[in-house]
Amino acid sequence: MSRMVQTDWFGPLAVTLLAIVIIGAFNPSFLSPLNIQVLLLAITVNMLIAYAQMIIVAIGQMNLAVGAIGGLAAISFTGMMQVWGLSPPVAALLAALIGLGAGIVNGCFIAITGISAFVITLATLSVFKGINLAITRAQPFYGVPQSVKDFGNTTFLGPLPWLVIPAAVVFVLMWYLLNRLPLGRFILAVGGNTHAAELSGISVRRTVIAAHAISGLLAALAGVALVARLEIGQPTIGDDWLILSFAAPVIGGAVLAGGHVSTVATLLGVIIVAIITQALVLFHIDPFLVQVVLGLLILWAVGINRWREVRVARSLKRI
Amino acid sequence: MHGDETSVAAPGPAAAAKPMKTGSVRFYLTNEFGLVVLIVLFACMFGLLTNGRFFSAFNQFTLGRVAAVNIMVGFAMMVVIVTGGLNLAVGAMGVCSAMTFGFLVEWAGLPWPVAALAGIALGVALGWINGFVIVRSGLHSFIITLASMSIFFGVMIYLTKAQSFRAIPPGFSAFGSMRLFSSVSPLLVVAVVMAALLVFLYRYTVTGREMLAAGARPEAAELSGVRVGRVFILCHMLSGALAAVTALLVVARTGAAIPSMAGQQLGQDWLLPAFLGPVLGGTLLSGGRVSVIGTMLGAVLVTMLTNGLLLLQIGEFWVQACLGALLLIAVLIDLARRSYLAHRRMV
Repeated sequence: MSRMVQTDWFGPLAVTLLAIVIIGAFNPSFLSPLNIQVLLLAITVNMLIAYAQMIIVAIGQMNLAVGAIGGLAAISFTGMMQVWGLSPPVAALLAALIGLGAGIVNGCFIAITGISAFVITLATLSVFKGINLAITRAQPFYGVPQSVKDFGNTTFLGPLPWLVIPAAVVFVLMWYLLNRLPLGRFILAVGGNTHAAELSGISVRRTVIAAHAISGLLAALAGVALVARLEIGQPTIGDDWLILSFAAPVIGGAVLAGGHVSTVATLLGVIIVAIITQALVLFHIDPFLVQVVLGLLILWAVGINRWREVRVARSLKRI
Repeated sequence: MHGDETSVAAPGPAAAAKPMKTGSVRFYLTNEFGLVVLIVLFACMFGLLTNGRFFSAFNQFTLGRVAAVNIMVGFAMMVVIVTGGLNLAVGAMGVCSAMTFGFLVEWAGLPWPVAALAGIALGVALGWINGFVIVRSGLHSFIITLASMSIFFGVMIYLTKAQSFRAIPPGFSAFGSMRLFSSVSPLLVVAVVMAALLVFLYRYTVTGREMLAAGARPEAAELSGVRVGRVFILCHMLSGALAAVTALLVVARTGAAIPSMAGQQLGQDWLLPAFLGPVLGGTLLSGGRVSVIGTMLGAVLVTMLTNGLLLLQIGEFWVQACLGALLLIAVLIDLARRSYLAHRRMV
């Protein structure tokens, strides 16, 4: 039991269940199929965004350009379908490749120059966003094919949206990567102690580039999924991802210094954020306050993580 | 002498015994010298390409107005970078102060100097909150200011209902459209005065030296009697005050306090100019070294490039991509410069 309490996912899971019970008791429409569908749609997209940041947090860096990469992928996805008439799968694949390429560019700059990821991704953030605006001239693309719209907004088996399937695949792959594959272990090792990882024969450079490539790919997938959900290629997609992308991993107990992230707990973090956002809407609380709540959630989560760290350090000292 | 580079804790033993031979090389490799060369080069280029329109009194005036804001936002970030941290909330804090100013003059009917002081006081208070939470929790300023930018901006939007305050007293907005000597904006004068005050702070006051020492090596500073926590909180309060002044300059320029004046999303649009100035100017991101003049020149260069690109009608949408590329090039040049200097010192 005490081992379970100490895991990353226990706290967020307890909060999730508690929130569902309380909100469901006060407002039964919270558990209606329509509301569950809306919740799941929000969770699928936000999970991809959160994982795009989580993989970078795992190596102890940050990626401010997650939103810019997602936005660039989203508008190139729609643009390629509308202007070049490509079929949706081909366009989605190319958009994912653009995200991958953008991530590799980030990773190469950071790994080769050794400049802080913050500055590099701040610079590439505005480069990618600038390219986005230069392509779209700040006008949305409306030519999203019906099949893509259907994929983003229809359901199977009751309230399950189709978008859940790719998200579930990503979830399983991320879990497998971070827990079973050498690359995932390398990423965590580099995040935990770069110097030690280097000494034990891990190519830090290649690991950092790989992590950024994965981050770019996930951000691009989130952009494509959001286009399917919104049925429009907005140039503003990605502008508001920054807070969200950090909130979920941090709530999930990720250590910002790197080396410790949890795929399951991050998903629970996404679910908590989605439930609270949804609850604010259901209880007719000003939507402007969502930002405040997200900020407070981050503070609360880092506070808890910090407290756990201090406690662990103390118990280690006692031994 | 090279600019006003102010640093404590020389990086490495070799730097202590500065060989005189490389002194001139060091001067040519300073950020300040490089920036002056770039500013002159680009000014000549834009002047030629636009048939002198770039040098017209009106363009110099608008250039100065925008530069003043970029310089000030760069300072607001610089004073926190000194601590080795950063302040993502500059935009959000600035907008909060500007909206308070707008509210006080429009609804409470206060005279504008009082309202401006109240706005700056709010900026200081928000900075204190940031600093206090960062120092007390021991967490990195990135995550704390990320959360606080969301909270500050959210509360501001909630209280104002995203409405602007447009009844700014004519005395205050005249300040934004006034021209001294037909081409200099008083806003630029404000920025230059601030720069002078900051130079004085970092060079001649105990507090300023303590800020640099605490940023360079907190443990060493603590041991030599600097109250590092208090100094860090002070840096964040200073950042809040500077962000508030920046926002007030924007209000004077636009004649209204608008919630989206620092970007639709949490004041994020100020982040790029806020980092461009200090990074171009050679402020170390790891803390302990600032260059006030460098930050100013960096901001001027950025403003000039934006203005020139717009005058040349290259496409307003490409400007942001160019600025991002500029930041990349700047940090790469800085890296090359530092490795060259390190190499020379070894010889």
